[in-house]
Formats: sequence, structure tokens, C-alpha cells
Amino acid sequence: MYYIDLAVSGLSFGCMYAMMAVGLTLVYGLLRILHVAHAAIFALGAYITVLVANASGSVGFGLLAAIAVTPLFGMAVYRLLYEPLLSYRPDVPMIASVGLLVLMQDAFRIAFGEQGVTFQHNAYAFRIFDIAGVRVNAVQIAMLVCAIVVFAGLHFFTTHTRIGIGWRATVSRPRIATSFGVDAVRVRYLNFAIGSALAALAGGLVGLLNNLVDPVIGYVVSYKALAIIVLGGLGSVRGTLIASLVLGMVESYGTIFVGTWLNRDAIAFVALIALLMIRPQGFSGARTA
Amino acid sequence: MLYPTAKLSRFTAKTLVGAVAVAAYVLAGGAPANAQIKIGFQAPLTGFAATDGKSAKIAADMAIEEINNAGGVLGQKLELISYDDQAKSDQAIFTANKLIGEDGVKLVVNASYSASGRAAAPVFQKAGVVMIAAYGVHPEITTTGDFMFRLVHLGPPQGRATALFVSNDLKLKKISAITMDNDYGQATMEGFLGAAQKYGIQVINKYSYSLTDRQFGSIVASVKRDEPDGVYATGYFFTGGPLVAQLRAGGVTAPIIGSQAFDSQKFIEIAGPASEGTYIADSFDRGRNDAALQKFFAEFQKRAGYPPENVAAISYSAVELMADAIKRANSADPPKVRDALAATKNYPLLTGELIGFNSLHEVIMPISVNVVKDGKMKLFAKLGDLSAFAPPEK
Repeated sequence: MYYIDLAVSGLSFGCMYAMMAVGLTLVYGLLRILHVAHAAIFALGAYITVLVANASGSVGFGLLAAIAVTPLFGMAVYRLLYEPLLSYRPDVPMIASVGLLVLMQDAFRIAFGEQGVTFQHNAYAFRIFDIAGVRVNAVQIAMLVCAIVVFAGLHFFTTHTRIGIGWRATVSRPRIATSFGVDAVRVRYLNFAIGSALAALAGGLVGLLNNLVDPVIGYVVSYKALAIIVLGGLGSVRGTLIASLVLGMVESYGTIFVGTWLNRDAIAFVALIALLMIRPQGFSGARTA
Repeated sequence: MLYPTAKLSRFTAKTLVGAVAVAAYVLAGGAPANAQIKIGFQAPLTGFAATDGKSAKIAADMAIEEINNAGGVLGQKLELISYDDQAKSDQAIFTANKLIGEDGVKLVVNASYSASGRAAAPVFQKAGVVMIAAYGVHPEITTTGDFMFRLVHLGPPQGRATALFVSNDLKLKKISAITMDNDYGQATMEGFLGAAQKYGIQVINKYSYSLTDRQFGSIVASVKRDEPDGVYATGYFFTGGPLVAQLRAGGVTAPIIGSQAFDSQKFIEIAGPASEGTYIADSFDRGRNDAALQKFFAEFQKRAGYPPENVAAISYSAVELMADAIKRANSADPPKVRDALAATKNYPLLTGELIGFNSLHEVIMPISVNVVKDGKMKLFAKLGDLSAFAPPEK
């Protein structure tokens, strides 16, 4: 039972990381920019969820609002921050991105307080399902379901729709895709919109699980997601998905062996360093970077 | 060595400017009719610790006003000269030098965090300025020297008191221990683990988590497997809230004992119904039938718009205690105030009865344990066995 409990917790962490990291890896694939400010969009999603949920009394409405608003924000970040800097070396937009992350974290602190915001009605975090002795919380189930729906949807979108195929083509071979008539700029907007919506969804769910949205909510996932996309083989969605689930499981099971003297975040990074030493090209197999 | 030199010269320059200003003031014949005693005040008014700093400042202003309305001290009014130290060491040193050099302050209440309090302490000690650390818990604050005082228990005594409580009051034998990985969390846990052996408490397993973590799924699963009689966790309300919620959601039904910094209404807000029955060691007995405390609650709520936390209460008491010591010393001369503070006996702080200071100027006072009941903090036990959690001596 203990191992199943750990698996449940590892799986829900993993799904959350995957939703967070997929936008990041796609931005890297398209633009070769390390989109550090993605963590701020994750936090923005969490704040929109909690604020709208408290104002409207409906958690679902809060999540929908976050998914609706953050794509606009993500596209604005591309248009106003990255596009003017694209002609410079990739570390220039990256530094701008770090700046935006710091700025937004402090903006959240000033606007909504150091202590963070809690959900006034959060039935989901306290609703427990007992499945054959394994207790699972409604938010953990939601994380798993969301991740399955999202990745199945992404798979369908990128294999069965014109714009989706164009998107995939642009990520892997930008020049050839353009010469086949794919609008690269439209693909970029699409990319930022979808990536931001997924990060916001992950942020909202983490906020629900913790029953707290505070200014540091994006902090840990920001650097973990960077490590995940490296491990996943930069730019690869499949690799990112695998890396996220592996990381979630390693964190969870790691507690058995080293929980006394290493905390979860430290376990995660020790594992990442070890994995990258064994497999520097990441899980995707091919080097895309 | 460039940096300290630069800092020193800036300090000298500031002192010079200050001296010239004072000289000009005196030459202009501007000696005040009603002399004032200046109390320096440092708190984090901006930055990550601003919530606590603002509460501390509101409370200290309240204390000063009330003392002055009652006629001041030794016929003089008190004046609070306050600076923002952002809870950062460099700002703490900078503003400490300002307080000494520009403002000529001799008595200081430091209502700031451990790191900044620890940085300011040597500056004040060297200048012979009395400093009361309202809630900074770094051990080196008081070991800096004899002008330093502290109004809260250190982490290890808090942990030892918790072990006593777990064994004597709750009669629990098998404990899962969860440590927050920072100075405060670790020091408190060390005190607990050391004393646990003495009381025959078996610590089944130890887990640790980082300050930024809010997801405890794997710890919860491990605690469930431990099947403990109780769970002891160190942390702040913003880690403790999610931890307790997730432990209960995961099916852990054993009593949970949290450390002092769980003590916030926000903890109850975050953990929701799961917070019921959580014990909080070394917390603030809000329900005490004490007119001064109830008056403080009402007035603070009116000024701040939210109820006071431990930090506010202890900052208020720190200013009051300083005024009381000036009265008892019959002088605002720092060595005399220091001796009067050291001789303090049975002084009522808002946070509890201060029995006195030990040789290191650490507090000797009972420890209260609260329990969450019907969404409110209620006093559960008062630990009076002072030797069980005696602070370190000189």
C-alpha cells in the first residue's frame, strides 16, 4: 500500500510538471529562448484561479478564467518582450525573461500580500476518494485527468489538424516549414497561447492542492521545469512528458531512501544530475539543441 | 577588503554630516523645551518580511503613544526613530550606524528577523547601545555581548518543551518527525530529538522538506506507513497549513504538533477543517483574561484592520519593557538601563509572564501550547517546568 501511495503522489507531481514544462520546451524548440518567465505565467494562472474563484464562488470558473486570460498574457510577452530581442544572442531574451519573472513575483507580493491568498471554498482539496484503500484527493485526480486530456489533445492536434502539423513542422524544421507556406509568426503566437494556458492550469491546480497561492508558488517549479526540458531533450514534447513523470516518481520514491537527510527538491536535483551524466542527450534520443 | 573600507568611509561621512547638523542646531539655539528620550527601532518595512515588519511598527507606535499619553517616562516623552532594515544584514548594519551616528540613539528595539538582528547586534554592542531583540531567534544575537536582550525562546528550548509536552501531556510514545530545512526548523527539531530520548519518545522516522515546498505527498505516504502515535513538524504557517491539510487528506489521524511559527490565523485558513485539533507549541495565549491584552487586541485591530500576530504583541511589549527599564533605572543611560533590564522580575509581556533574564539575557518564561478548536486558537496547556527548557547560559 505504501508503494501505491507513493506512486499516486509521484504521478500527480509528474503530471503537474509535464503541463508546466511542455510550454517551456516548445518555446525553446521554436525560438531557442529559455522562457524563464513561464513560471510567472504559472503563478499568474494560480492567482487568477484563486481570485476569480473567491469572487464568483466557483473553482471551475476560476480555472476557466485562468486558462482564458493567460494565453493573452503569454502572447503579449512574446510580442513585447521577445520579438524585439530576437535578433540578439539567445541569452539576451533569456535575461529579459529572468527580469520579467522577478518583476512579476514582486508585483504579486505587492498586489496580493506576502501571506498569499487562500480559497474561500475549496471542496476539492478536502474531498477524498478511497479507492481500494488508497486515499486520493480530488485535486490529484484532476491533475492526472487534465494531463491525460491535454497530452491526448495535443497529440491529436499536432497529427490531425493543418495548423497543428504546421506547428510541429516549424518546431523541428523551421526553414523548410516556412518554405511550405507555414506562417511561422502565427505558430509562435499559437505556441505561447497554448503553453501559457497549460502552465496556468497547472498553477491553478497546485494552488487548489495547497489551498494557498503565495508569491513563491512558481519558484520551485521554475527551475525544476528548466531541468526537465533539458532532461527531456530540449524541444521534445514526448521527452518532456517522460522526464516529468520520471522526476515525479524519483521525488516520491526517493523519500523512502534519503528522506531523512535530503528533502524532495534536493532528491530531484541529485537525480537530474545523475541522469544527465548517464544520458546527456536526454530522453528524446536525438539532439535537437 | 574594499567593501568594508568603502562602508566605513560612508559611515564617517554620515557621522560628519550629522555632527555638523547637530552643531548648527545647537548654535541656532534650538534646544527643545521638553527633552525627549529616543528609542531606535528596526523592522523590515519592505521586502519579503514586510508583513511582519508593518505589524511590528504599528504595535510599537501604539506603545509609544500610550506611554506618552500617560505622561511619558521620567517626565520626558519617548520618540520612536524607526528604520526599514528589509530583514537584510547590510541594511541592518547601515541603519544601525544611522541610528547611532545621526540620531544619537542609545536604546534600540530590534523587531526584525534573525539575519538582520544578528548583523545589527555587534554594531550596537560596540557603541554601548542597549538592544532588545523582539523576536529574532539567532543564537548569536545574545552571545554578542551584555547589551543584548531577547524576548522569545530559542529554537532548541522550544523543541525540548515540545518533547516534554508530547510525553507528559499527550502521553505519545511513537513520533514521526518532519523538519523544515532552515535554521529555525532544524534548531527546533534538534532540541526535540535530544529531549525525546530523555522522555522515552521513540522517533520512528525523520523527514525534511524545503522552505519553498508546499506538496508533501511522499512524506504523507511515509508517515502513514509509520503508523505513529503523533506527528511533530517544524515550519511556518504557510508550510504547516498545506502539510496538515495533506496529512489529514492522506488519512493520517494521529495528533499533529506544530512549532511556534504555525501560530497564525492564516494557518487555520489554509488547512481549513483539517487544522482542527492541531497543537502548536510555544504559541501566544490570546484568550488570557488580561485587560491589557484585550485592549491591545481591540486597538491593534482598529489601526491595522487585521488581528495582531505574535510579532505585533512582542514588539509592543519590547517597547513597553524598555520604558519600564528606563523608569526603574531612573535614567536613560545605557549601562543603567541594561542593568535594570537584566534585573527584570515577573514582568507581564503580552505574550506571557516574563520571569526574568538568564546570564545570557535569554528569557525565562513558561511556554504555552495552543490547540485549534472550532477554527480558533485556544490555550491547551501551560508548561511551567522551566528547567526542562532552560535557555543556554553564558
